[in-house]
Amino acid sequence: MIKFSDVTKSFGSINALDKISFEVKSGEFVFLTGPSGAGKTTILKMILREMLPDSGEVLFDDVDIVKLADKEVPRLRQQMGIVFQDFKVLPERTVSENVEVALAVSSVPDNEWDSRVRHVLKLVGLDKRANLFPSQLSGGELQRVSLARALVINPKLILADEPTGNLDWKTAEGIMDLLEKINKEGKTIIMATHHEGIIKHGKHRIINLDDGCIIKN
Amino acid sequence: MSIHTKTAIEAIKRSPFQAISAIFVLSLTFFVATMVAILVYSSGKALSYFETRPQIISFLKDDATPEAVTSLENKLSGDMRIKDLKYVSKEEALEIYKKATSDNPLLAELVSPSIFPASLEFSVTDLKLAETIISEVKSEAIVEQVGFTANIGGEKSLSDVVSRLKTASLYLRLGGIVFVSVLAITSFLVLLVIISMRMTTRKGEVEILSLIGATPSFVRSPIILEAVIYSLVGVLTGWTFAIIFWLYASPSIIGYFGQIPVIPKDPLTFFLLFFIILAIELVAGLTISLVGSLIAVGRSLKKIR
Repeated sequence: MIKFSDVTKSFGSINALDKISFEVKSGEFVFLTGPSGAGKTTILKMILREMLPDSGEVLFDDVDIVKLADKEVPRLRQQMGIVFQDFKVLPERTVSENVEVALAVSSVPDNEWDSRVRHVLKLVGLDKRANLFPSQLSGGELQRVSLARALVINPKLILADEPTGNLDWKTAEGIMDLLEKINKEGKTIIMATHHEGIIKHGKHRIINLDDGCIIKN
Repeated sequence: MSIHTKTAIEAIKRSPFQAISAIFVLSLTFFVATMVAILVYSSGKALSYFETRPQIISFLKDDATPEAVTSLENKLSGDMRIKDLKYVSKEEALEIYKKATSDNPLLAELVSPSIFPASLEFSVTDLKLAETIISEVKSEAIVEQVGFTANIGGEKSLSDVVSRLKTASLYLRLGGIVFVSVLAITSFLVLLVIISMRMTTRKGEVEILSLIGATPSFVRSPIILEAVIYSLVGVLTGWTFAIIFWLYASPSIIGYFGQIPVIPKDPLTFFLLFFIILAIELVAGLTISLVGSLIAVGRSLKKIR
């Protein structure tokens, strides 16, 4: 599903990624680990095509997303669900509206919204909080909103950038349980984290990065 | 209601003062535009009234034979410089007199058709030719006297009246265009500022939407819709105030100008004229809002990305 071939990216004299190559198959759950500045987020940004490599190939379903025209980028992103460390929920919209936005962006017909939103909110345990605003939710609940928004479009791939970074251990464990459950349903998940406990939580493939190089895969 | 309409309405509700300023400026612009449009219409109508009414009357001698009158009539109608030629008999002249003095019937009773001369009334294709044609007609044997029909404001000839009206109309048009343009530019800039401010406050939202796969048109739609709502409300408010003014003022204006059709007397034509103006203003309003918001959104999106 995802293939990096000799991907290099530098910011001035700093090598964010140095000729890295790896492949993620459909249905896999992969942890990108390593200290801050190792290149985890850079990899996720490249998959999202938020950032372009200096050299190398990034394939998503055999399509080189580096060569993708700008107007094709939204379509690429609509096939992915993204969960951010800082949640990135829309503060002026309710929980259900935050989830609906993802459906609107992906041009899902309006008549499907209600059932899909209800289903996904039930899945993440927020069905009773559907009409609350983000300011009325806890950190764990906000991350569940972010997860619900990622899941509602039924994406091929879920990218999670330190999704438990701002959460206490118990809440983080809850989020991890959810991600495990989603992975078991066949979704591919790539999750960047440096949280040892989280990595040990599930026995999944680990790509360990340091200084822009893969040191263990 | 679509998600874009909902977002646009929520944005308006969240910043009511921005919305009020945008609508106020647009209303003022389109109120003035409607007023200027009507004034331009009125000046054009007044000008056309004076240009098309018979400008020269040649009064015929009482002893002019019908043959001589027909001969002169044929001669004048064959002249390319002359248009709208009309023979007015003594009886018709009396009728005109009776109409003019209808408020005092005694005056009409005291006169008989014999005291009114028959006449040939006509207009000239170009007022510059008037003096020459008058002197030519004066030299005709059956013509007693030649005169102008209009003598408004002490002008010596109709050409003065028309030329004065033309100048006034030109200044009105130029002044109107300049004034409306200045207001339109102000509206455009106000919209540009408000939409840019909206984009700045929505920067975070735009970034999130972009990351989850929103197309540029998805991001733009609610903002453009907001600008379109401002312009539609602005156009309708400005136009409504203008039509109320003209509806209120039209009886006095029609009474003051009398025969001169400065504004349509027929309600159907009156409303048709206003609806044509409304249609043009809606197109102009939409253009201002679309261009303004597209520029503002384009610039802001460039900065955000």
